Amino acid sequence: MPKQIVVIDDEKIVCNMVQRILTQEGYEVETFTDSTQALNRIREKEFDLVITDLKMENIDGMDILKEVNQLYPEAKVIMLTAYATLDAAIDAIRERIFDFFPKPVKIEELKKSVKKALGS
Amino acid sequence: MTIRMRIIIAAIIQAAIICVISIFGYLSFNTILSKLRTIEIIDDLNISLLEIRKSEKNYFLYSDVNALKEVVGRGKEIDKVVQSSKKEILKGLGPKTYNVLGTNLSKYLELAQKVISTGKTPPHFGEEFRTLGHELTRLSEVLLKRERTDVNNRIQNSIFMLIISLSAVFLFQLVVWQYFFHFIIKELAIMGNLIQMASQGKLHEVAKQTISPKNELDDAIKALADMARELEKREAVLLQSEKLASLGILISGVAHELGNPLNNISLMAQGYLSLYDILGDGEKKNFMADILTQTDRISRIINNLLDFSRQKKQELIEIEPGNLIEKSITLVSNQLKITNVKLHKYIEPDLRPIYVDAPQIEQVLVNLFINAIQAMPEGGDLTVNVGQEVENGYLIIKVKDTGLGISKEDLLHIFDPFFTTKGTKGTGLGLSVSYGIIRQHHGDIAVESEEGKGTTFTLKIPIYQPKEKEEDAQADRSH
Repeated sequence: MPKQIVVIDDEKIVCNMVQRILTQEGYEVETFTDSTQALNRIREKEFDLVITDLKMENIDGMDILKEVNQLYPEAKVIMLTAYATLDAAIDAIRERIFDFFPKPVKIEELKKSVKKALGS
Repeated sequence: MTIRMRIIIAAIIQAAIICVISIFGYLSFNTILSKLRTIEIIDDLNISLLEIRKSEKNYFLYSDVNALKEVVGRGKEIDKVVQSSKKEILKGLGPKTYNVLGTNLSKYLELAQKVISTGKTPPHFGEEFRTLGHELTRLSEVLLKRERTDVNNRIQNSIFMLIISLSAVFLFQLVVWQYFFHFIIKELAIMGNLIQMASQGKLHEVAKQTISPKNELDDAIKALADMARELEKREAVLLQSEKLASLGILISGVAHELGNPLNNISLMAQGYLSLYDILGDGEKKNFMADILTQTDRISRIINNLLDFSRQKKQELIEIEPGNLIEKSITLVSNQLKITNVKLHKYIEPDLRPIYVDAPQIEQVLVNLFINAIQAMPEGGDLTVNVGQEVENGYLIIKVKDTGLGISKEDLLHIFDPFFTTKGTKGTGLGLSVSYGIIRQHHGDIAVESEEGKGTTFTLKIPIYQPKEKEEDAQADRSH
């Protein structure tokens, strides 16, 4: 069974591109531009990997990270952000983040990180 | 002519009038004094003549020659007095009457002398002698009466002239002071007006005053206009430097804001390269179109910022308040994203347009937003309420934060230039410049704050009343 990945970013292009690339790699990918909807989906379905933007309207990436850690200790979280500050990175590491990508994201590196996270 | 010159001239005229009055008074009192001396002499003469007539009467009653001798003795004394006081008597009687008096006196004395020396009384002596004596006393009495009337008249005239002169001086004073008051008050009113305009921030109108100084007050008015021009220049510089200070804060947010479209472009390009072989023609086109959309987005962000930074001449335009607020919020939207501040905006529908210099009002709003965000370092709520008071003709914008608040002492100074609570981070110009801009728009800016709870700024900006509409309304009222 392919690994389940969810991508959350309020930029539609990010969702689409990451979905395309990772689908190409053989993963099953769902995307959300609305973080509230994404969180609802996460609550009803366990994903192996969550790729989320940090700064979003309503619920932000840190809230999602905390919730995923609580619900699914086995799941990994990769964070993308255009607002990369050291404070944000430290906060994320404290919350057991798998990887942290400042935007613009390099697709090859992201692919490598995803592979590593899913142990395949 | 300078005011100093005018006052000197008025004082000289007044001094001249008082001099003329004094000279006139001196002359007239002098005349009265000499007249009084004449009256004294004539009075003495009159008494002596009456004594003579008494002796004359005694002679006719008792035929006593000694009485006639007395007449002659006294008559000679009178003659002496008449001779010695010729000048005064001449003045009173005139030469003709003086001669008559002299001739009559000598004839009278001659007759008496003749009777004394001959011891005989010539025929008609009694009648002639009495007539002459009577004529003498009559003359002196007429003279006395005339002189007294004359002195009386002169005194009365002097009193009258004095009253007239005093009234004239009083009137002159009144006119002169009235003139000065009118003149000075008129100029002071112009100055007062200009100062009031300046205090209302209408420096431009004060600066427009062109006046060629003719007096000291004109100098002051000209200085006021020069000052306004200078202030206007500095205000423009201040406005710009404050805007650049705001811009510095905005830029950090914009740098982040650019991250998203740049990331999108980068992802599209990377995807395009790695998926090139499996992409259809349509998809390739879509990729490029998406990239173009993202570059447009970058241009828009940069243009917004450039638009804000540009120094422009004040230009009033009719604008929908909603658009203005949205644009100002866009400028700080990145600040909101990189902090934990949540924006809540409530914009009433159907807001009337305002007539303002849009970039300037944007500058004020951006400044208030930045202040609010900076007052909430731990995050909080920024609420923007926009409504209108149609009956008062004002658009009301409330900018409320849940930040640190401002102390009561600081509240008194927050609109003062160079006053800042942000230490070296602030220029202390933001609110002072905002205050200037809002006053220039005939609006008002007020602040309420509670330490630890937050601050609310309230802007009042007049709603636009197009001139034609006003005229129509007036026409309607008159029908």
